[in-house]
Amino acid sequence: RIMPVRWSRYDPSYLEPEVNKELYQKPLEKLSEEEREQMELKAIRPIKAAPPTLSSSVFSDPMISKFTNMMMKSGNKVLARSLVSQTLEAIKRKQLEKYHKAPENEKETIECNPYIIFHQALKNCQPIIGISNITKGGKTYQVPVPLTDNRKRFLAMKWLITECRENKHRRTLMPEKLSQELLLAFNNEGPVIKKKHVLHKMAEANRAYAHFRWW
Amino acid sequence: TLRLICTTMAVQQKNVGAAGPEKYTEAFIKKQIEEFNLGKRHLANMMGEDPETFTQEDIDRAIAYLFPSGLFDKQARPMMKHPTEIFPEQRKIQWGEDGRPFHFLFYTGKQSYYSLMHETYEKLLNVQKHQDQLTVQDLPLQKEKRNLAGSRWLTKIELEEMLLEKLSDDDYSRFIQLLQKLVALPCADIEKEYIQKFSKEVPAQLQKVVIEPLQYDERGVAFSTGEGKRKTARATAVVYDNGSGKITVNGIDILHYFPVLQDREQLLFPFQFLGRIGKHDMVCTVSGGGRSAQAGAIRLASAKALRSFVTEKEVEFMRQAGLLTVDPRVKERKKPGQEGPRRKFTWKKR
Repeated sequence: RIMPVRWSRYDPSYLEPEVNKELYQKPLEKLSEEEREQMELKAIRPIKAAPPTLSSSVFSDPMISKFTNMMMKSGNKVLARSLVSQTLEAIKRKQLEKYHKAPENEKETIECNPYIIFHQALKNCQPIIGISNITKGGKTYQVPVPLTDNRKRFLAMKWLITECRENKHRRTLMPEKLSQELLLAFNNEGPVIKKKHVLHKMAEANRAYAHFRWW
Repeated sequence: TLRLICTTMAVQQKNVGAAGPEKYTEAFIKKQIEEFNLGKRHLANMMGEDPETFTQEDIDRAIAYLFPSGLFDKQARPMMKHPTEIFPEQRKIQWGEDGRPFHFLFYTGKQSYYSLMHETYEKLLNVQKHQDQLTVQDLPLQKEKRNLAGSRWLTKIELEEMLLEKLSDDDYSRFIQLLQKLVALPCADIEKEYIQKFSKEVPAQLQKVVIEPLQYDERGVAFSTGEGKRKTARATAVVYDNGSGKITVNGIDILHYFPVLQDREQLLFPFQFLGRIGKHDMVCTVSGGGRSAQAGAIRLASAKALRSFVTEKEVEFMRQAGLLTVDPRVKERKKPGQEGPRRKFTWKKR
């Protein structure tokens, strides 16, 4: 079998699958001409198979799947998934404890849904501007650089995981460490948010070299 | 006349590489075609069939019958095809007796490619001139939307066959960019025939698959079967109507067979997508592969079986959600000189 490298098993004409049920139930009142063209294209071109992590049920969340994949070590998805579900359970328990102890007027402000807490915490951790090393004239400068959405999400998740793996007490379990970090990030406190602010300050300090960027 | 003195054998030997691929003369090809036609008639006589209506398929069947071969590679078996299919088309000699080439771009090396680029650019300028004329006369520019989704450009190999010349990827992409530029202009309909030479129709619809009708078993319950595969796992699923949502795999309930949530989610994916979770019963058999591969195989099998229960539009939605395509990803082979499919051996400085 001939197997060229840096190649996917699908032909380049295959399109990505769209799993969201609601998009298919929308009648002909689509947004714009682009959507119509996309529909025509989809009707003719072949489509890739949906990966095992993607599903149309309410419980599958693309951000959670990405986070699980980043937590995974040596392909042990079962363990990573169980850790993430235990984390979400731990968050829910902590929030419920707080909810039952709080006085009546504050009960509405406490957020109990662990998915919302996860998304909000990730959003709070995402840096707006990043730093990249550019070598010019023999010296390497740290140049402030805009980041894409994917890169921001990746950095936020990476920081959370490394923070939990390294800077915590050895005997505490991962779900507990993660839930602690996520709750702190949700309230804009904690070491990950501090790291984000440090990055922003470095970018602001190196503002003078911003013109070194050529892209 | 000169006499060769004091030469080495190396100079006198034939330089096999410099000659290039074997060149066939026209007379040779003609002779081959005559021999082929004669041979076809002889073969028809031998098989006891009519020589006048002996098609290529009949020839293939006759040869496979008379010369059975156990070789795996189809190209290595004895074959009898028309000489134009066997001997590749070659260009006639590009220069006359005095050594002067016929085409003005001969010395570029890729004469047909560059002449094609020149022609296409000429058409582009033509279209732009026409556009300018229309704007001068204040007539509206034609904005008919061509159906781009139903056609594709020629591939690099097809273009090479058309031009009888080797092309590089860069050349090919430049040519396609020029064609796209030409097509993007509003008045490109003038040069439609020229563009049609380089575009091919994509086969009409991808719904060529025949949806089987429902079968009814002894109790009168409608059911349908489907087969699926993923990596090395093969699965068959039988989906019954009027059920309560029970799913059995190899005689074992899914809760016991698939302890992992992700696999069970994959099994229920087609049902959840169509909104028919509690309405169907399923009995499947699966073998081979690992835990995730078996789940994927059963998902494909159940999606194929559900096609018979559902309207055509929903089948199209299932296809666009990626439920009906066979996943072609398999384990990549290990290469020699490397530790795995991608990982190289540890680099040691000494």
